[in-house]
Amino acid sequence: MAYTFKGYLRSDGSAGTRNNIGIISSVICSSTVTNEIANRVDDAVPIIHSNGCAQLGDDFKVTKSMLSGVAENPNFHSNLLIGLGCETNQVSGLLDAIPQTKPIEGFSIQQMAGGANTVAKGVTIAAEWSEKIAQEKREELPLSKLKVGVITVDVDERTLKAAAPVVSALISVLLKEDSTVVCSLTKSLEPCGDLLAEKTENMNAREELWELSYGLNRRRWESNEAYGFSAYSEREKKIALEESNLLGSNQLQTLLDINEKPLDKGLYLLKSSGNLVETLSNFVSAGCNVALILSKEGVLATSNVIPCISLAPQNDGQTTRDYVDFYIDHQDAMTQTKVLLEKLIQVSSGELTALEEYELGEFAIPHIGTTF
Amino acid sequence: MTKFNGYRRSDGSVGVRNHVIVINTVGELSALARKIASLVPGVIPVIHHGGVAQFPEDYVQTLRTLIGTAGHPNVSAALVLGEEDDEIAKAIAVKLKEKNKPVRTICLNNNQTIPGLLKEGKEWLENALVKSKREIRQECDITELIVGLECGGSDAWSGITANPSIGTFSDMIVKEGGTSVLAETTEAIGAEHILASNAINREVGREFLDIVRNYDYRIKQTGEDIRSANPTPGNMAGGLTTLEEKSLGCIKKGGSTPLKEVISYADRPSEKGFVFMDTPGYDVESVCGLAAGGAQVVLFSTGKGSPTGSPIVPVIKIGTNPKVYEIMSEHIDINAGKIIDQNKNITDIGTEIFDKVIDVSNGEQTAAENQLNQEFAIWRLAESI
Repeated sequence: MAYTFKGYLRSDGSAGTRNNIGIISSVICSSTVTNEIANRVDDAVPIIHSNGCAQLGDDFKVTKSMLSGVAENPNFHSNLLIGLGCETNQVSGLLDAIPQTKPIEGFSIQQMAGGANTVAKGVTIAAEWSEKIAQEKREELPLSKLKVGVITVDVDERTLKAAAPVVSALISVLLKEDSTVVCSLTKSLEPCGDLLAEKTENMNAREELWELSYGLNRRRWESNEAYGFSAYSEREKKIALEESNLLGSNQLQTLLDINEKPLDKGLYLLKSSGNLVETLSNFVSAGCNVALILSKEGVLATSNVIPCISLAPQNDGQTTRDYVDFYIDHQDAMTQTKVLLEKLIQVSSGELTALEEYELGEFAIPHIGTTF
Repeated sequence: MTKFNGYRRSDGSVGVRNHVIVINTVGELSALARKIASLVPGVIPVIHHGGVAQFPEDYVQTLRTLIGTAGHPNVSAALVLGEEDDEIAKAIAVKLKEKNKPVRTICLNNNQTIPGLLKEGKEWLENALVKSKREIRQECDITELIVGLECGGSDAWSGITANPSIGTFSDMIVKEGGTSVLAETTEAIGAEHILASNAINREVGREFLDIVRNYDYRIKQTGEDIRSANPTPGNMAGGLTTLEEKSLGCIKKGGSTPLKEVISYADRPSEKGFVFMDTPGYDVESVCGLAAGGAQVVLFSTGKGSPTGSPIVPVIKIGTNPKVYEIMSEHIDINAGKIIDQNKNITDIGTEIFDKVIDVSNGEQTAAENQLNQEFAIWRLAESI
């Protein structure tokens, strides 16, 4: 049977599970003004962060492409870009980088001669978009329009053992429905990169996954060392193996770099860090419209762009936490998978997650280098 | 000797503000910290996204900055939000208790609900706010003041009007026994020999040249030319043509007093006098480091007009030209452009800045404070793990 959800179909064929306006700051210097505009308009979401100036090379590219990816996310009906004026990450450059598939405008505080003028103009524009949003209705869409992020953070062996049968079965159902599924590849999963390499036909991804399994390798500058490397232990490899069971026996399309978007249907891995808010923002930029966050005890932050269902194992004798959406318990995997799929469909159709109810959405851009 | 009225803390330090803050230890608690702060009007959120998945150099820098911020003399009381068994929260609490500063850590545990956390945080903050209102300002010597020197959105006038005036101020405060801290290592590149030769001795001069050289090395590691990001597009629109030109203007903020000490990001000066702190040229991260290092007030010259402030220290904006002062008046406190069109000289503006620093230290609100500009960002060194 083909499942459906109720979403907002965009002109480029993608679908939103939410219908919001992105008020996007190009640099930290315009974040207060950006926040102020978002506070004054219904449906507006502030995209504020600490980057945007005095950045060089790849670190700057990540910031720029992440903001452009966020603007493209189907959960945004329209976008307003707010800059300071003198920053490296110019609004004009962002406007050039973002495909013009939906309403977008941008200007800077210096251009508008001050914050008050910028807020006034921004509120006028965003309020008009908000009126249009009020007229729009959700429509029945196939699950192939879902791009589901699966993020693991702060997990232990017990959590992975409990979750693997349910999460892997859910991924299989989604893939059968032609959805796109993007799983996080963090430090905890990297040690079994050599095994993951066998799941993909993509030769570059195979090579890279195989390389990653050798040890932790990230950019750092301390002691004049451009790269930091340390080999993975047997214990780390063992836990990674458990985490790889979340994917089940499904084939992988490829490995995505930060800000890279899945170009087709199917299962992908996305390079991620252990910093939850940065990683969530990375999934937003990759075009995901809904996500699952698996952790051992629940998390306290979510994305302010896409709904995230928080999954955790039920611990015996522990009171349930009001910010976990779905507890994995001892019932059989099939039954639980069905309930989880139903939850995913409901949330994608507009039901608020626990963390959305508490308004705990955040945004942050990963640094891959130092600022200057 | 010049005096001002500040808040004398039990560890002997002096604050010019009496803030009650909420600070998160790790990025995952940023939203909750923001939310708790919003429940009590007057409480200031100090929000960041680090503290997790970091290499030791970043972890140590984050910790030092958070301790310096929460333990700052401008802070009356701090609520620290941490995870279960949070090492950062524990370290902050220990340092603040040593200073006898009111601190409460809320660390998550198995039995908490979000409404419960919000209630607990709100009650403590309301109480802390009431207590802070009872604290009164007392007369203090200017020798207790540490003033950070910063520039952002520079133009060709920066090195001619505002920065030399800040230099005059710096000489004045140091002469009276106070401390001024110049920052932004990037913006010393090309002018480092001048500052180094003005150091109090050969060792300090050498240390300064070392941090500039280290910066140069890091830049080369990115495979890029720093000049592709600095001067920024806005600097160039403002008439600056090269980084060297920008640097020559930037270091004028230090005046002519010999450089006494070179300190790391977010470190406290160990001596009074003119000091240099190793920070990036990125304004918000630099101001954050200056504040965490104990500066109670920051001076910030701007040619294009920058609104940014700090959650815990008043930032005084000095416009470099009459035009920016006119069009961005809501964000600027002092018009150094009067040197261009009102027959004022550098000493006049330097004296005006000095008087303003005393007024602000006595409690006068700055433009950035009025506009609630409370940007906070910790200088990141390496990739997230």
